[in-house]
Amino acid sequence: MAPVLSPRWRKVVRDVWLHKARTLLVVAAIAVGIIGAGAVLDAWSLLRLVTRGEYDASLPASATLRTDSIDTALLARVRAVPAIANAQGRRNVMASARTSDGVRTALLMAADDFAENRIGKIKPERGEWPPADGSVIVESSSVDFAGAVVGDSLTIQVGDAQPQRLRIAGVARDVGLAPGWMEHVVYVFVSRGTLRQLGAPASLNELQILVKDRALNRDAVRRVAADARAVVVGTGRSVVDVVVPEPGRHIHAAQINSLLLTQGAFGMLSLFLSGVLVVNLIAAMLAGQVREIGIMKAVGARADQVAGMYLVLATILGVVASVIAVPLAAVFGRMYAQFTADILNFSITGFAIPWWAIALQCVVGVVLPVVAAAIPVARGSRISVGEAFRDLGIGSRVVGGGPSFQLAGLSRPTLLSLRNAFRRRQRMVLTLLTLATGGAVYLGAINLRAGIVGSVDLMFESQRFDMSLRFAQPQLPDSIEAVVRRTSGVARAEAWTGTRGIVRRADGSLSDAFPITAPPASSEMLVARITRGRALRAGDERVLVVNRRLVEEEPTLTVGSSATILIAGKPTEWTIVGLAETGTSNAAYAPRATIAAMVGNGRVSTAVVADALTGPAAHFDLLQRLRSDLAGAGMPIQSGQLMAQQRSVVEDHLLMVGGFLGNMSLLMIIVGGLGLASTMSLSVLERTREIGVLRAIGAPHRAILTMVQVEGLVIALLSWLVAIPASLPMTYVLGKAFGRVMLEVPVSFVPEPAGVVRWLAVVVAVSVAACAWPAIRAMRVPTATALAYE
Amino acid sequence: MTNPVIVLRDVTKTYPSAAGPFSALADVSLSIGQGEFVVVVGQSGSGKSTLLGLLAGIDRPTTGQIEVGGTRVDLLSERAMSAWRGRAVGIVFQFFQLLPTLTAAENVMLPMDFAGALVPRERRTRALDLLNRFGVADQADKLPVTMSGGQQQRVAVARALANAPALLLADEPTGNLDSKTSGAMLELLASLARDGQTIVMVTHDANAQRLATRAVHLADGRVVTPTNGARA
Repeated sequence: MAPVLSPRWRKVVRDVWLHKARTLLVVAAIAVGIIGAGAVLDAWSLLRLVTRGEYDASLPASATLRTDSIDTALLARVRAVPAIANAQGRRNVMASARTSDGVRTALLMAADDFAENRIGKIKPERGEWPPADGSVIVESSSVDFAGAVVGDSLTIQVGDAQPQRLRIAGVARDVGLAPGWMEHVVYVFVSRGTLRQLGAPASLNELQILVKDRALNRDAVRRVAADARAVVVGTGRSVVDVVVPEPGRHIHAAQINSLLLTQGAFGMLSLFLSGVLVVNLIAAMLAGQVREIGIMKAVGARADQVAGMYLVLATILGVVASVIAVPLAAVFGRMYAQFTADILNFSITGFAIPWWAIALQCVVGVVLPVVAAAIPVARGSRISVGEAFRDLGIGSRVVGGGPSFQLAGLSRPTLLSLRNAFRRRQRMVLTLLTLATGGAVYLGAINLRAGIVGSVDLMFESQRFDMSLRFAQPQLPDSIEAVVRRTSGVARAEAWTGTRGIVRRADGSLSDAFPITAPPASSEMLVARITRGRALRAGDERVLVVNRRLVEEEPTLTVGSSATILIAGKPTEWTIVGLAETGTSNAAYAPRATIAAMVGNGRVSTAVVADALTGPAAHFDLLQRLRSDLAGAGMPIQSGQLMAQQRSVVEDHLLMVGGFLGNMSLLMIIVGGLGLASTMSLSVLERTREIGVLRAIGAPHRAILTMVQVEGLVIALLSWLVAIPASLPMTYVLGKAFGRVMLEVPVSFVPEPAGVVRWLAVVVAVSVAACAWPAIRAMRVPTATALAYE
Repeated sequence: MTNPVIVLRDVTKTYPSAAGPFSALADVSLSIGQGEFVVVVGQSGSGKSTLLGLLAGIDRPTTGQIEVGGTRVDLLSERAMSAWRGRAVGIVFQFFQLLPTLTAAENVMLPMDFAGALVPRERRTRALDLLNRFGVADQADKLPVTMSGGQQQRVAVARALANAPALLLADEPTGNLDSKTSGAMLELLASLARDGQTIVMVTHDANAQRLATRAVHLADGRVVTPTNGARA
């Protein structure tokens, strides 16, 4: 019977088996690259599927208009607009929820008919649906934050009304909401009857519309919203606010896209580094096979036949790596997708990773080592028989003597290690760069994180208070300030107000609504960082300071320009006097007296308080006392929030990106570590005879071990040095990418000292681990075998 | 001389070196006929291995022509040279040079595999025949590391003859064997020559010259007339 495999293919298979450690290293190098890039691809493809499927299926509102009480007749009129597919009325009420961890801000959401679920469909997950009178249904992403258990009760208070214990009847998911755990809000679905029971207004004030043509862009939707607004205004109601989100885009889509793109870029980088490592390993493998290539050529093998053998070998390694890596990438990708889905308030349960993502990874897994091997294989297989037989061993033709270090105080073996590190310069540089790239990303991520914290500091620097309280009804500013300042622990207090504005553009179209914050003239508690123009000052009337994010959306709002702003539905004229840097969402600032006169008959809605206390418990206690004192003075509080809490909401959003970059850098450090391990294994293999000589002249085990470890450490420390300056452009690139979708980060071009020290610790640990096996192998080689090694 | 299998005309081989060009062979002209058993002798550095390398197509002459079996070897491309070598030349090395991961039979089958000689199922049969002919059939499925030097060299000879080449080249084939084994090896090569196999062997072994049909003496890269009783 004919043998299954011809001799040359048996040689390929046996070489794989004979050099198990090297084979494993190549497989690991390919696998790590595929796991990194594959996990990101799996997550991206899964999220794309889920968000498209679930978010689109939820029929998110195309636009939301805030108006007076919405009734059935108004809904019927709006639905009659030709471009509108559906309309529904809702009301959101801010409240407090008492949980086992204290009082939380709650958002009560009621609709004209939850059972119909026409727009922004809510998906019941457990228990009952829709919410019945006297019970609540908690939104899925708030369940843990609220400590809610179906069947238990939740105590909710609206303003100064009597707190009510309401049964938790079920859990439902609204994919259109930013997650409650991240926003630090307990989302609760209630009936209008329950709102009445809680003492809250039960009339509907949010009109949600769904356009017929879901392919319309944002401007086209704005025109439809304007038609709806005209219908509402035509009934004698005023429209105070129109919000048109980017069609089809989830509230956190920009952040997630940025995250996935950055992750994808680093996934590709890790794949590329794996490719470099495979080039290194295959080149070394071929260098070790020079004599065998010579023999095969001497017995008649052509260059293409030899090349074919090693390319098939590379393919086999790619297949093995893919078999290992693709399922692991799927596991990690699914975990990452689940995490990201939680941020987006989606669930990936029931969704499978698309087949094309798996197929692409398999193809890349098989093709990567073949492409990486192509150049060394082409070079190796072209070697002539004469050259092959003249070769004295693995790569001996190109081994240099290395620089002649003469450093006083270093032992002879240490000097030998230093010289050895520089003998194969090309391989050393490749290894060093692989490790240094991981380090640069690691340091870049740490620098970015520091930059993010710095930017959050800047953002909150303008808000010089510890807590804010929102009143159930507008109050006179002097009355508020008088009561608050009497409360012990209060250092400073101001009464603020605010409203929402809509820019009416020159062509008559309307912008999205944005918040206008109105502090008193010469406020000491809002000190915005002005980048152009000036801040608000005493005597100002119709002037606005706008922030950078608002100007990005409405570029006509330049300093010195005039603008028509709809406030409470009425057009008003303003002059823009300053541009401020105040965070990630659009905002504007106006004099309190002007806004209070427009929307509150001189009354205001908010108190901000700075205290002289330390610790979250003390702040919280003051907040509770203020609630009590103000309620006692006839000024009930609708909601109160600590700034520390707000800051953690913002930081949670921003640091998420930095955290993921850190994880990605660890993957690259693993690739770098594998590179170092392979380089040191080859170094030991090449110097087997030299090690034998050292042993023969009396070098103990410890000396051999130290020699190998020091050689690895030299490369690792050099990579540490290279990574420090390399992290600066990395920080710049990361900062720019981050700034495009989140906020401009004031990145420092001096690496974080703590990060540099941590990177040193990491690189030393990686070096010791990577050199452990080569060092043990070097120690184990019998002297006689080492001396006979050719 | 019967029709010459090998013809060298004014072959020179020069290597660059730090001290200037070094001439390993200079103006060598030589003809070797079918079935001749020629030994190439000379001191270290005389150009013996260079001559063998040129005949095997392992190296190329700097100037001159080399014709083996009617093929101008010096004009072949590297790719054509490999294919030609696989069909027309068998090489036996001093250090055997068996592939360590292949068994004896597989080592013998390897040249057939590369040359596409015979149908695959017949290759093992031929390999076993050759191993049997050289008395190492019992080693067929063993790896080289488990065999003695003599056994490995016999396997190497079997491998060299796998594609029935016109020319068998041997580079010090007894240089790594004990005297008894080397004697047997020389007898084996002589018997092949008697069967019509053309053999060119580089050697230091004085016994080899007695069994050969001709000896070519090299000194400083040139063919010289022997000064003692060796047949020239």
